[in-house]
Amino acid sequence: MDAAEVEFLAEKELVTIIPNFSLDKIYLIGGDLGPFNPGLPVDVPLWLAVNLKQRQKCRVLPPAWMDVEKLEQLRDHERKEETFTPVPSPYYMELTKLLLNHASDNIPKADAIRTLIKDLWDTRMAKLRVSADSFVQQQEAHAKLDNLTLMEINTSGAFLTQALNHMYKLRTNLLQPAESAQSQDF
Amino acid sequence: MPATQKPVRYGHTEGHTDVCFDDSGSCIVTCGSDGDVRIWEDLDDDDPKSINVGEKAYSCALKNGKLVTAVSNNTVQVHTFPEGVPDGILTRFTTNANHVIFNGDGTKIAAGSSDFLVKIVDVVDCSQQKTFRGHDAPVLSLSFDPKDIFLASASCDGSVRVWHIPDQTCAISWPLLQKCNDVVNAKSICRLAWQPKSGKLLAIPVEKSVKLYRRETWSNQFDLSDSFISQEKNVTMLKTGLLKEEEEDDQAGSSHNLPLVTSQRPFYDGPMPTPRQKPFQSGSTPLHLTHRFMVWNSIGIIRCYNDEQDNAIDVEFHDTSIHHATHLSNSLNYTVADLSHEAILLASESTDELASKLHCLHFSSWDSSKEWMVDMPQHEDIEAICLGQGWAAAATSALLLRLFSIGGVQKEIFSLPGPVVSMAGHGEQLLIVFHRGRIFSQFYNLTSTPCYVDSEGCVRMLNRAFGNTWTPVCNTREHCKGKSDHYWVVGIHEHPQQLRCIPCKGSRFPPTLPRPAVAILSFKLPYCQIATEKGQMEEQFWRSVIFHNHLDYLAKNGYEYLSCKLEREFRCVELAELMTQHAVNLAVKYASRSRKLILAQKLSELAVEKASELAATQAEEEEVEEEDFRKKLSAGYSNAATEWDQPRLRNQTEEDTESRKEADDTQKTPELHEHGQNSGSTDTFDVPAIKSGAVTSSNQGRINPFKVSASSKEPAMSVNSTRSTNILDTMNKSSKKSTAFNRATNNEKSPVIKPLIPKPKSKQASAASFFQKRPCQVEKTEEVKEENPKNASSEAPVLCPQNVENQRPKTGFQMWLEENRSNILSDNPDFSEEADIIKEGMIRFRALSTEERKAWTNKAK
Repeated sequence: MDAAEVEFLAEKELVTIIPNFSLDKIYLIGGDLGPFNPGLPVDVPLWLAVNLKQRQKCRVLPPAWMDVEKLEQLRDHERKEETFTPVPSPYYMELTKLLLNHASDNIPKADAIRTLIKDLWDTRMAKLRVSADSFVQQQEAHAKLDNLTLMEINTSGAFLTQALNHMYKLRTNLLQPAESAQSQDF
Repeated sequence: MPATQKPVRYGHTEGHTDVCFDDSGSCIVTCGSDGDVRIWEDLDDDDPKSINVGEKAYSCALKNGKLVTAVSNNTVQVHTFPEGVPDGILTRFTTNANHVIFNGDGTKIAAGSSDFLVKIVDVVDCSQQKTFRGHDAPVLSLSFDPKDIFLASASCDGSVRVWHIPDQTCAISWPLLQKCNDVVNAKSICRLAWQPKSGKLLAIPVEKSVKLYRRETWSNQFDLSDSFISQEKNVTMLKTGLLKEEEEDDQAGSSHNLPLVTSQRPFYDGPMPTPRQKPFQSGSTPLHLTHRFMVWNSIGIIRCYNDEQDNAIDVEFHDTSIHHATHLSNSLNYTVADLSHEAILLASESTDELASKLHCLHFSSWDSSKEWMVDMPQHEDIEAICLGQGWAAAATSALLLRLFSIGGVQKEIFSLPGPVVSMAGHGEQLLIVFHRGRIFSQFYNLTSTPCYVDSEGCVRMLNRAFGNTWTPVCNTREHCKGKSDHYWVVGIHEHPQQLRCIPCKGSRFPPTLPRPAVAILSFKLPYCQIATEKGQMEEQFWRSVIFHNHLDYLAKNGYEYLSCKLEREFRCVELAELMTQHAVNLAVKYASRSRKLILAQKLSELAVEKASELAATQAEEEEVEEEDFRKKLSAGYSNAATEWDQPRLRNQTEEDTESRKEADDTQKTPELHEHGQNSGSTDTFDVPAIKSGAVTSSNQGRINPFKVSASSKEPAMSVNSTRSTNILDTMNKSSKKSTAFNRATNNEKSPVIKPLIPKPKSKQASAASFFQKRPCQVEKTEEVKEENPKNASSEAPVLCPQNVENQRPKTGFQMWLEENRSNILSDNPDFSEEADIIKEGMIRFRALSTEERKAWTNKAK
């Protein structure tokens, strides 16, 4: 799975918007949306929110966790803990990215939030690398990783498994060099 | 005056502060470690006047227009008040002074400093100084005896001394306080106080109590203490309040825990008449804010900026399709505004040169001049304004209410019985709140029913059915999380029962930036036992009764449901007796579904009874049939309106709407006519019809509202015994046959239709094919076909766009007929001849009112 696919999944997340048009309920395969009343908040999937925002048909209300104070707390907590801490949303990175790219004018202190989310992400990625490193070095058979989001798993998952595969091959070769050497002699 | 404590607010940066009142008590003067002296109109004043007096201000005193401050350059300075112009230096110390005070007549000041000295200086002639030496540590506070003989001082050395001023000697010294080495380390700044006027007692705060000493003898008279006071720190803050309070009434023994704010209480102690509430505009924030909302209603927002760089008004519409956002400069100082989907109304107060003005931006006007302005007569100020549909109103200080048309024509004028508080308009209705006895605090009306919000956050709505009383429908305070949080109500909508408001954290009004978001609260009547299902159902029932008379009918279903659930079958029958025929039918169905057979039986007996009564009243069949048509519409309505109801019930309604013929009581009819008016679309029947279709499709899949579903008809027939006499029963089969036949002929005749129709052909299609046989084909066929796309727009996929090409019908009747053809057909499925349909249509069309007929004729043109 590549990042675009993960982002596609994240676009199903509901966000609150304030539309500036009125429209009756719309019936989609994924469920009913609306009704849209101008000035009244309504929950819509992210893809629709971004689309409406691009057409200047709505204002986006940032999710409750997208707040400088809360994120600072989260970041500090993340830095203090050895393990991964729970994140506010399973798609926090994708949500932040999309909302800040398309609706930064509706999000107070957008720049600070961008930095904080990046900090949070970097901290978590560093932890992931460190744990992968110790996992490899200590030649563990399994490890438990909680509170990882799909995007985070996706960044290192494919590479790590492949790398482990390779290492496995190399190690098995090291253990029986003689046999393989013999076979080559023939 | 109740001892209520207002929320604390910050006046200065962190550090030592001091506070005093001016002579008249009209403003609060504070100084702080930021070196500013601030003059506050009241505690809510957001724009205090600041005078910079130095780097740090330690203490301030105010008397006779002189402001004395002790500042960090070790001087005691004078400034004029309220201008704040420096007026010389009174005295200097080697370090900073900690406390300065005036004596009773304002001729002298006393200052105590950290260099252990106390000085008394004449304000006019600063060369006349008296110095008191004796303290061994920084002086904390001072107090002048009202008779100017003694001066009390407290110091960090733990002693409280009383000085005899003329002799410059120490009269007495008590070691009362805890010793410390500096003012910043003192646990209490120990403000002292003499009994006002007589000076008989001296009060000294010591730890958690107040010690009172008698003058001359200097003996401890008594102590005041209270278990409420737990911290010493607290005590110092409360001291002045305590002392003044005690000494005013000269009562010993009782102690009142008063906050600092009330320290200078007025001498009148009885209940005060509440000041008359000023007029206000619904959905606006207070005038004194520099950035404020002038209006926030269901149409849009008007913001007003009033700061140094900008004096402007921003208008923004929730729905950008009404009008684009506009920006106006506010050169005339408009203070009140209102907004409707037709116009923006602004009004200003009169100034010396300019009269009070009413300004209207009528943006929906179709001509080029979009604004008008009216000057009020001299000495007449506009106090409240409001907009309705096609009119504007302004209430003035001359107790007049002036009505204008939206185009600016002056209309009625009448006088009000009292000063206006607020006004609200909706459609053709105007609601005025004026002073008589009770004082309302806030008022909003955004629906056809008046409602208001009081300052306690309780929303009340007028209950027209119950002798025009006010019923509380929601308490916004219940939803608040914090104590100082409020909800600022911007609108009430009955249709989906909503209270739209803006949550404000720690304040009453929202700031303009960042832009606040609207929250939606649901209504809740304060009924008992709301936790039980019975309580909930009762609450729901009465709420719906209040919210709309036309919900009555569904509400009864709700009640029926309630009693079924409660397994009180007898009560259900009682209820059913109150119901209309139609509701009874629903009840029967519901009962049989929920396997309450006895109940169902009882109810159907009742239904038969009612129906037989009705049969007598059915004089003219045609008339009833027309009613039936309207009922259909209104049924669609009530469905749309009652989302709170059980979906199951709604389904039933749908089925019943379709299966129902003419077995309804006449009593319902007037009510139904009302609905048409409420909707404001009496003459455009297709609108509600489409709406009902939308609801249907959400519940039952996509079904044509015009379609007569034979399947749903049959079970209904079996329940309703009266219908067995109906000819429709027997006609069912034959009509179906003819349908099939017609379809066949239709296909032969016009092959264009065929490919577009998917397999599950709706009845609509077959109904349309009824007309294919008629002789005068060209024109009429087109009419029929035009109807189909119309329906198709409401529930697209089912209906096939079988129109060949559209040709406008020529007369109003033809248009009407085209709209209502399916109704006629559904009512009389045996009409296979076009002539019959037209005949029936003629009869119905004649029964319409002249106005409606005119409307149709106009449409045709």
